[in-house]
Amino acid sequence: MATVVVIDDETMNADALAFMLSAEGFSVRTAADGEAGLRLVAEVQPDLIITDFMMPVMTGLELAQKLRANAATARIPVILLTAAQAEIGRSHPHLFDVVFEKPCLPSEIVGAVSRLLENENSRGI
Amino acid sequence: MTKQLVRVQSGVAGLDTVLCGGLVQGASYIVQGSPGAGKTILANQIAFHHAKDGGKILYVTLLAESHDRLFQALATFDFYEASAVGRDIFYISLFKVLQEEGLAALVTALRSELARYRCTTLVLDGLLIAKDKAESALDVKTFVAELQSHTAFTGCTVLFLTSARTDDVSPEHTMVDGVIQLKEELAGIRTVRQLRISKSRGSAALGGLHQYRISSVGIDVFPRLEALLGTPSAEEWLDHERVDVGVPGLAPLIGGGLPPASFTLLMGPAGSGKTTFGLNFLGRATPECPALFFGFYESPQRLRAKGRALGIDVEGLERTGALVTIWNPMTENLLDSLGHQLLETVRQRRIHRLFIDGMTGFQRAAVYPARLIEFFTALANELRGHGVSTIATLEMRDLNGLAGTDPLPDFTSLMDNLVLLRQVGLGGELRRFIGVVKMRDSAFDTAFHDVIIGDGGLQVANRLILPGTAERDPVVPSSGAQSSGES
Repeated sequence: MATVVVIDDETMNADALAFMLSAEGFSVRTAADGEAGLRLVAEVQPDLIITDFMMPVMTGLELAQKLRANAATARIPVILLTAAQAEIGRSHPHLFDVVFEKPCLPSEIVGAVSRLLENENSRGI
Repeated sequence: MTKQLVRVQSGVAGLDTVLCGGLVQGASYIVQGSPGAGKTILANQIAFHHAKDGGKILYVTLLAESHDRLFQALATFDFYEASAVGRDIFYISLFKVLQEEGLAALVTALRSELARYRCTTLVLDGLLIAKDKAESALDVKTFVAELQSHTAFTGCTVLFLTSARTDDVSPEHTMVDGVIQLKEELAGIRTVRQLRISKSRGSAALGGLHQYRISSVGIDVFPRLEALLGTPSAEEWLDHERVDVGVPGLAPLIGGGLPPASFTLLMGPAGSGKTTFGLNFLGRATPECPALFFGFYESPQRLRAKGRALGIDVEGLERTGALVTIWNPMTENLLDSLGHQLLETVRQRRIHRLFIDGMTGFQRAAVYPARLIEFFTALANELRGHGVSTIATLEMRDLNGLAGTDPLPDFTSLMDNLVLLRQVGLGGELRRFIGVVKMRDSAFDTAFHDVIIGDGGLQVANRLILPGTAERDPVVPSSGAQSSGES
């Protein structure tokens, strides 16, 4: 079972997304800011990360930069799910594999998660 | 030497006037109002204005609508600038911190985030949620005081948004520097929004309720005219030259013209010639001494058509800048919005003569009719102070008689001049006539005179002679005053 980490300061959003992904068979953990998210990633070594942009302590952009700078996490696919910073996210394609602008359809997020994980699996083979 | 408080402009039209200069930098305010009153709009409008001025804003939500919903709603307002989000205005939720760690941890997190972005403004949306987490009034006071001490030290202005009713003894009310209340209530079947500064520590504010409007530009506050203009902003005009009304035959009846910068009430029933009289008056405008038509009945198109029918070139006057026309259909208007719109146009366009058609438009817009005397006093004084000669119509019922009139509204005693237009059926025809009731500091002819409406508008004809009292004269233009009174 693939593990996904969802990082969003709006914890109800994170919980809703976690519920949805769990229903699709993923194991999901959540964190409420970038720094807590980074600690969680180190702990669970997820297969994929979904992060918000504007968050306390550390933004989604700073989080993605730290992930890419660390060899242990550099190759984990990162999805940016943001209400107002999609353009910034798209201007950093090396940091974010996919950028979604809220509001978006849950099925689109699930589809992207499945697709990115399949890609990772094929690369592993 | 008296020190001045450093003010931060809110960017909300009218609010800085009510606050006597703006928000005090480094001070904390509660913005209180029921859901839907516009707290979030007000706070964001201020935030985006501060961002435009180079400020950094931390916008913290606790348990409110999600940020994506918030941005969707904000995007419908003109002040919203998407590029400022995340660059100058930082929206974060600290609900988890509050929920899991309490108020002390929330203060620490807020201090840390304020320092991280070097914020000049903090908006905390959800004071009620923080209050719910407190175990005692002391907890609430401590939370507010700790945050205040930090923001005051760094010069950061704070807005606490809450839907909870705050009274004078509520712990948060006693701690903050100011309280801005937003009220939305029903007046009859219409909704009325009003703002009140119920606390303003160490700083003056315009007291009482002030109407506000929410539109695509955000919030506009309209300070109550009589509160703002207790005394006129300019001294009364004291010219001696009479003002030409533009109605042929009238000048001899009123000493050559209207007293300068005076307020004339032109009363009469529908169809008696009030608007035509006004067009004659406006026809004397020039680009150097422009006029304003401030109407509630005729649209600009209808006014132009009426002008064409009477041989008065309204379009030409508009084209040369001699005439400005403003039309507010008599639907749901706000009294102070009308007053400010009128005065702003007078100031900006340096208006010399003003025709208001008519006073009923103001009366219908008044949610509290009892304040009309104070409102008209402030309005008339301000117009006199700007040297504006004003004629305003007042629609009265047609009693089909000579002497009878409706009971006059109280505000007529504020007017400098009273002129009556009436009509009566005599000998199978409708006759219109005019009478001067009052003329400030002037001798005037007290006799009724016939009026003729035709090419060139309205003109005063001969003295009115009723059938049976004397042989009726043919209606010819008046040659001058025949008897006089003084008021």
